[in-house]
Amino acid sequence: MSIQTPKDISSIDFGLMDPETYRDMSITKVITADTYDDDGFPIDMGLMDPRLGVIDPGLECPTCGQRSGSCPGHFGHIELAAPVIHVGFSKRVRRLLRGTCRNCSKLLLTSEERGEFLDRLERTIELGDDQSDVMKAAIRQARKKDQCPHCGEKQFDIKHEKPTTYYEVQDVLTNEFPELIAAAMQGDAVRDEDPDDVDRDPMSPDELANETGIELSRINEILSGTFRPRPEDRKAIEKALSVDLTEEDMNKLMASDIRDWFESIPDEDLEVLGIDSDHSRPEWMILTVLPVPPVTARPSITLDNGQRSEDDLTHKLVDIIRINQRFMENREAGAPQLIIEDLWELLQYHVTTFMDNEISGTPPARHRSGRPLKTLSQRLKGKEGRFRGSLSGKRVNFSARTVISPDPTLSLNEVGVPDRVAEEMTQTMTVTDRNRSQAQQYVSNGPNTHPGANYVKRPDGRRLKVTEKNCEELAEKVEVGWEVNRHLVDGDIIIFNRQPSLHRMSIMAHEVVVMPYKTFRLNTTVCPPYNADFDGDEMNMHALQNEEARAEARVLMRVQEQILSPRFGENIIGAIQDHISGTYLLTHENPEFNETQALDLLRATRVDELPEPDRVDGDIEYWTGRTLFSELLPDGLNLEFTSATGDTVLIEDGELIEGTIDEDGVGAFGGTVVDTICKQYSTTRARMFINEVAALAMRAIMHFGFSIGIDDESIPGEARAEIDETIDNAYDRVEELIEIYENGDLESLPGRTVSETLEMKIMQALGKVRDTAGDIVSDYFGDDNPAVVMAQSGARGSMLNLTQMAGCVGQQAVRGERINRGYEDRTLSHYKPDDLGADAHGFVESSYRSGLSPREFFFHAVSGREGLVDTAVRTSKSGYLQRRLINALSELETQYDGTVRNTKDTIVQFEFGEDGTSPVKVSSDVDHEVDVAEIADGVLEAEFEDDGDTFLEQVRDETDTRTNLSERMDAITAQGDD
Amino acid sequence: MVDATEHELVPEHHLVDEERLEEILDEYNIERTDLPKIKRLDPALRDVDAEAGDVIRIERDSRTTDTAIVYRLVIE
Repeated sequence: MSIQTPKDISSIDFGLMDPETYRDMSITKVITADTYDDDGFPIDMGLMDPRLGVIDPGLECPTCGQRSGSCPGHFGHIELAAPVIHVGFSKRVRRLLRGTCRNCSKLLLTSEERGEFLDRLERTIELGDDQSDVMKAAIRQARKKDQCPHCGEKQFDIKHEKPTTYYEVQDVLTNEFPELIAAAMQGDAVRDEDPDDVDRDPMSPDELANETGIELSRINEILSGTFRPRPEDRKAIEKALSVDLTEEDMNKLMASDIRDWFESIPDEDLEVLGIDSDHSRPEWMILTVLPVPPVTARPSITLDNGQRSEDDLTHKLVDIIRINQRFMENREAGAPQLIIEDLWELLQYHVTTFMDNEISGTPPARHRSGRPLKTLSQRLKGKEGRFRGSLSGKRVNFSARTVISPDPTLSLNEVGVPDRVAEEMTQTMTVTDRNRSQAQQYVSNGPNTHPGANYVKRPDGRRLKVTEKNCEELAEKVEVGWEVNRHLVDGDIIIFNRQPSLHRMSIMAHEVVVMPYKTFRLNTTVCPPYNADFDGDEMNMHALQNEEARAEARVLMRVQEQILSPRFGENIIGAIQDHISGTYLLTHENPEFNETQALDLLRATRVDELPEPDRVDGDIEYWTGRTLFSELLPDGLNLEFTSATGDTVLIEDGELIEGTIDEDGVGAFGGTVVDTICKQYSTTRARMFINEVAALAMRAIMHFGFSIGIDDESIPGEARAEIDETIDNAYDRVEELIEIYENGDLESLPGRTVSETLEMKIMQALGKVRDTAGDIVSDYFGDDNPAVVMAQSGARGSMLNLTQMAGCVGQQAVRGERINRGYEDRTLSHYKPDDLGADAHGFVESSYRSGLSPREFFFHAVSGREGLVDTAVRTSKSGYLQRRLINALSELETQYDGTVRNTKDTIVQFEFGEDGTSPVKVSSDVDHEVDVAEIADGVLEAEFEDDGDTFLEQVRDETDTRTNLSERMDAITAQGDD
Repeated sequence: MVDATEHELVPEHHLVDEERLEEILDEYNIERTDLPKIKRLDPALRDVDAEAGDVIRIERDSRTTDTAIVYRLVIE
């Protein structure tokens, strides 16, 4: 056997396959349904013929001489006793039957029409549109013809009974013709005609004979039913008596008839339909030979007890061969047509289910156990099929999955990897002069000590496993040119992912920090992009296997490169939850700290020297929260914006002058300070800032102490009384409305019925209760209340949540209306029928703190359930929508000329997004657009006046060359940074 | 019938002359069939005397740039 060399694919043709090709590529005809003989050897010309390929290890393939694994397997074939229709083409067969003549097989189009469709086809190809639309249109046109324009043959309608039966619908003489003619001759109504509408003159047999030109004796014979009139006589009689003597009859088209029909369709006619007759003759859609897939495609497995279990495809092929043989035997024995037809249908069924076992209208072929067989198309279709399951996505090596947990001491770029994962995942290092001793150290540590190695590869290509026993010995042998598969160590780059991967930031690159225990550890600030929390979430890690991948990941995929979201062009990574409460507490009332406290707050940051104190009291120095926060800001930062709390934040030259730092300042999803640093400085600087804000905020929140308990939602008695009063007032108002309504005095709002108006007004009145309760509640809670702090700073929760906890839960709703479902005319049997009152329709006057009454609890659960159902429905709907969108958009690409094109190179957008701009590169500040003029001036100056020294220097200052280095390197080079 | 071209959201549609068209096709290095398509009977082409094969220039308002220009090939 010669060595096969890889070949270039220059083109691919898709088409039907000629039965002769099936025979040519077949290594053997398969004639016996048995697989193995009594001694367990495969039978020649059986389904397991050794020439079809080898699956048992060690055996040699008699066809190609290769062994299991390298032998691709070889096709066999079955000669079908009678032609059967290929299910995959049943629609195409139907179209061709409808569009061609039943006699001469020519396309039922005049030459002008043919020309039109040929032109249209040409244009369609030119425009790159779907050719099958032209075919459909041509068939639709051809189907309108009652007669063949070429041979004049009358055409019948073709009825298709799924999956593979075709009938010609013909009009034939009904068996009731004598009665019908007799009735018509008496002038009576026939069939289902309305007797009143019938206007038919009675006619004698003589007159009828005259009228039709049929002999009188014949007419009498016809009337007695002894003679069936010929078609032309039938038509004459029908015309004379204006009566319809026909009934529809279904004439079944056998597969062999269809094959003959298709064989004589001329090539030129196929061209009109967009069929290339060189590659796809239509008669090839009707199978006369069935290819038998190689055994490698349907391997049998040996069970523990030594019994062989065959693949589903083999089972199906056994069925086909059995029926095929029975068919042949019966036909040779001259069995009646009825039996032959039954067997034919059975053969058709088996061949059909061999190819597709999920056809509607056909019972699926089943295994003995009752399980439907997995046949050819089931192997390809769907999520677990060959395309989606084995080609687009498959299982990968060098991956790990485990539970995630938080670790605030990590940088957001890092991930804590359990040591046992690090020992399993490896990175290949090529041994050079410079890393040889390091490599030897790894090898000598062996596979079970952390920075160790699992395999080495010698320059001759031989791979050796490093074991506890041979590691010392092997380490000595490691030379330049060897490859060592070492464990993951701190600073390695890996890819980290959480499903569902809905956006770019669901997969990011992190630097490894090897840690004890079993979970992946994350900095909490990267939770928003992954949408992760720590209630049991698991994430996947992939170790990169070549230098190119590692470089790409480091430059493009590292977390800090993803701080800005392309969705809205602002940062998606930033402070969350307690970080925000922390910066709020630190900056809102601008508290003071003594030296010990101040140093404690900043201890987890790079800042190791305090600035000038803000106040000196005697010999004690004090620093304010804002001053300490300012230490984290880069020099030269100037900002002015409104915080979530509502005050104006002013930052001048990297100093926080006034204002509260909260969600709008440093939060994820568009915290202004983070966003600005990211855009005006660098992603590295932004990363440092976020890390340090998180660290400072945690220290701050720990300094002040932050907790929330049941007493934080309690309100004084007078507040409760106030709320109760509003509730009572609202109840009165509702009663009043109901009374007006029942008296019929309620005026309806435009476009609504009176009862709708009442509902609206009640909802309005009750809605106001919660608002009022909210106002009352917030009056009684001070700014130091933890729930208020969280709501104001944007850390978590809202004032509405607080109102519901302390004041009144309010109206429960289903589909935006009060709860109206349950029993007839009432929601619960606790209420009278047609009670329109507030409490009968789900108004909850209690607060969460006071607890809900049983009835309130029920209504609350009703609307709570609606929320759950909505989320469940939404996720599945949006998931499918997303899949469709991705499939539609995945081939679009922005070209170097700025246009967006698909793979056919047709233009979708003339300029990406109409402005050719990336959302993350645009200033989020309306007042600070990119100053193109200044940049251009700089470039010009650099080019012509002072050799560009000033400009280049400026550029150099702004370019952060540290980005692509490991974070550990940053720590070294960053010394002396602002 | 409502004249769609009068509507404020329907941008200006103009026929592109052959000379200019050559430049455009050259600029993007494409055949005219690579352009996006517009039906000849599109309501926006009411006042444009266009045949299949002609190219239409559409000048629309854009949120990100003031105006965005799009060319479309007229088809049947």
